[in-house]
Amino acid sequence: MSLARRARAKRHIAQVAAAVLGAFLVVWSLVPLYNMVRVALQEKEDVFSSNVIPATPSLHSFWTVFDTSYWLLAKFWMQMSNSFWIGVVVASLTLIIGTLTSFTIGRLRIRQGWMLTNAALMTYVIPMSFLAIPFYGIMGKYGMTDNPLAVIAVEVTFATPYAIFIFQQYGASIPYELDEAARIDGASPPQIFLLIYLPLMAPALVAIGTYALLLSWNEYLYAFLLLSTEGKLTVPVGLGKFLNSDEAPWNYLMAAAIVYAVPPMVIYYAFRRKMSTGLTMGGVKG
Amino acid sequence: MRRLSRRHTIAGLGAVVVASPMRIRSAKAAEPVTVWWTQGFYEAENKAVIDNLAAWERATGTKVNLTIMNGPDLITKLIAGMQVGDVPDLVHSVTGDRFLVPRAAWDDQLIDVSDVIDSQKAEFHPTSLISSRFYNSKLKKHAFYTVPIKCSTLMEQVWRPLIEEAGFSDADMPKTHDAYFDFFQTVQDKLRAKGKRVYGLGYSMAAKEADSGTLFHHFLVAYGGKDIVLPSGKLNTDDAAVQKAAIMALERLTSPYKKGYVPPGAINWGDVDNNNAFFAKQIVMTPNATISIAVAQMEKGDQYYKQIITQGIPLGNDGKPVPGILAVSPCLIPKGAKNIDAAKDLLKSFIRPDNLNQYLKETRGRFLPVMMSNIKSDPFWQDPADPHRPAAVDTGLIRPTISWWMNYNPAYSAVLSEQTWSQAEANITQKNMTPEQAAEEAVGRIKTIFERFKVV
Repeated sequence: MSLARRARAKRHIAQVAAAVLGAFLVVWSLVPLYNMVRVALQEKEDVFSSNVIPATPSLHSFWTVFDTSYWLLAKFWMQMSNSFWIGVVVASLTLIIGTLTSFTIGRLRIRQGWMLTNAALMTYVIPMSFLAIPFYGIMGKYGMTDNPLAVIAVEVTFATPYAIFIFQQYGASIPYELDEAARIDGASPPQIFLLIYLPLMAPALVAIGTYALLLSWNEYLYAFLLLSTEGKLTVPVGLGKFLNSDEAPWNYLMAAAIVYAVPPMVIYYAFRRKMSTGLTMGGVKG
Repeated sequence: MRRLSRRHTIAGLGAVVVASPMRIRSAKAAEPVTVWWTQGFYEAENKAVIDNLAAWERATGTKVNLTIMNGPDLITKLIAGMQVGDVPDLVHSVTGDRFLVPRAAWDDQLIDVSDVIDSQKAEFHPTSLISSRFYNSKLKKHAFYTVPIKCSTLMEQVWRPLIEEAGFSDADMPKTHDAYFDFFQTVQDKLRAKGKRVYGLGYSMAAKEADSGTLFHHFLVAYGGKDIVLPSGKLNTDDAAVQKAAIMALERLTSPYKKGYVPPGAINWGDVDNNNAFFAKQIVMTPNATISIAVAQMEKGDQYYKQIITQGIPLGNDGKPVPGILAVSPCLIPKGAKNIDAAKDLLKSFIRPDNLNQYLKETRGRFLPVMMSNIKSDPFWQDPADPHRPAAVDTGLIRPTISWWMNYNPAYSAVLSEQTWSQAEANITQKNMTPEQAAEEAVGRIKTIFERFKVV
């Protein structure tokens, strides 16, 4: 066999191997999602059947989620609205604190500003769950248990260090001369921040805003610990109640989980391009 | 303008002094009571407590802030709350008697509720009273730290259509322990021969939650290991009878699993999963801590009245009754609660026999009463037309029962929390240890745990 032919054969084998591996990974990734949909399309008596395709698929579970006619779903939409507004406030506060901090450190060049950035990142050394009890204690002392503001405060605390880091790295790519030119034209620091810095930071803002929103959207531990009243719970905590019933409502649980996954998916696909630009820039400039 | 005389002034001040505590007291009474309650398995259970507390709220004018959350979450949250001193006024935890109260009482984190118990002491089932006393290591004494409101023992739930399909009837089910459970292996063989993908036994075997521990300990008692902890609080695992019982229990629970008579997923089942597997007719029978499986199907008349069989635990291999281990679901008041007086008032009202009975009936009788007068005075509990409740009453309240061992020593609560015996089962099924080796390792661990808890 000639060298060229051998090389071609090798390339061919590598391509086939890559295709097989790719197919395996696709199946591996999609099977859980398929299972979610499969269970959601079944009646609760059929949930444990070994049918790969539901024998009599039905949208009944989704309808039950929409009209909240099942007792554990009675407050689903209220919980959805709680999750939503907590997520929006967390994202907004993270953006406000992150951009102001990164602007102050990066553009106003305060002394030893790098220490603040590094100190903020150090907070990730301790896993979020390890701080649950101390946070619970602090919120208890301030009388903020069972208050959504406590959850917001915690989630902003965890989202902000990463936001500051990314904003600072991204901001470094914006020429400092722009600030100087604006200053010569008489712009004050707040004007530079609002009229120059923020518009140029748009991709990073989208990326971090989405990140903070998703962090809050999927958060369970702190929402569970800090909130008690039924009307204040978020969807992840509300869905946790399903895991305690004899009525095996896995189909409703999966349908509710799919409905709950829709808003983040919409947000992700709406901002996908800008988000990846923002995250990549942060990484490259680091 | 009329001048105030000294007498008037003194009288006025006196009135203020007398009125002040009254004002404070009435202001206190108006403070809301925060209650955390374990979520029910079905809507009726939640509704029963909501209605009951609402009635008390109307009667007293004291607002109740009720939060209902699932069992394991409630315990986690309460432990976190007790760590930081932010606790509710009253808690009802279904599995708190095993996983929460013994060590909280040991650490002096609970309010002594003997006065609440005293208000109805003569009414309570004797085992439920034993189950409500715990040791406080700070005060070095036992006291009532919980108020029992409902109880349960292990029950067996069987699909009648499946045993009939295998060619058997109710009467064919043996009455003694080993023969009874072996019977379902035969049922599986027959159903498999007909091409039916089904398992004979729905044993919970996961090292989590409560069901697997309940099942293991029932087997332990059935084989003669009920004295694993003595009433003095002393660990008794060196006793040959206890050791033999532990080995037998491990062997008899794990052999069917290894032989394929228990679903492979059972080693990962949470408390609800044996119920789910039962509903899916994946298993012919399952031991369960209450009659919840049947009760959840009450609307489906055929299933409730004809298809699901509820049986008490089988007799021992010697033909004698095996005592049921009575699990008592308690109410408790954590130390640091802001409105203890109102919480105690609420509890005293809640456990009035008629009120408690009404509540339990509204929950559809998933749990048993802790008061014998409820059983005697209300035909609901022993209605011969009901195929489930009378069997549960017979096993849990009429036949002999024993309490869990953490009432003697809270160390056993840590044994349950660590899932020591379920880990031993996993060592046999997953790591191919022999039952003797697994029992020896478990006993070693239990001895270490007991060293931390010295009841004097």
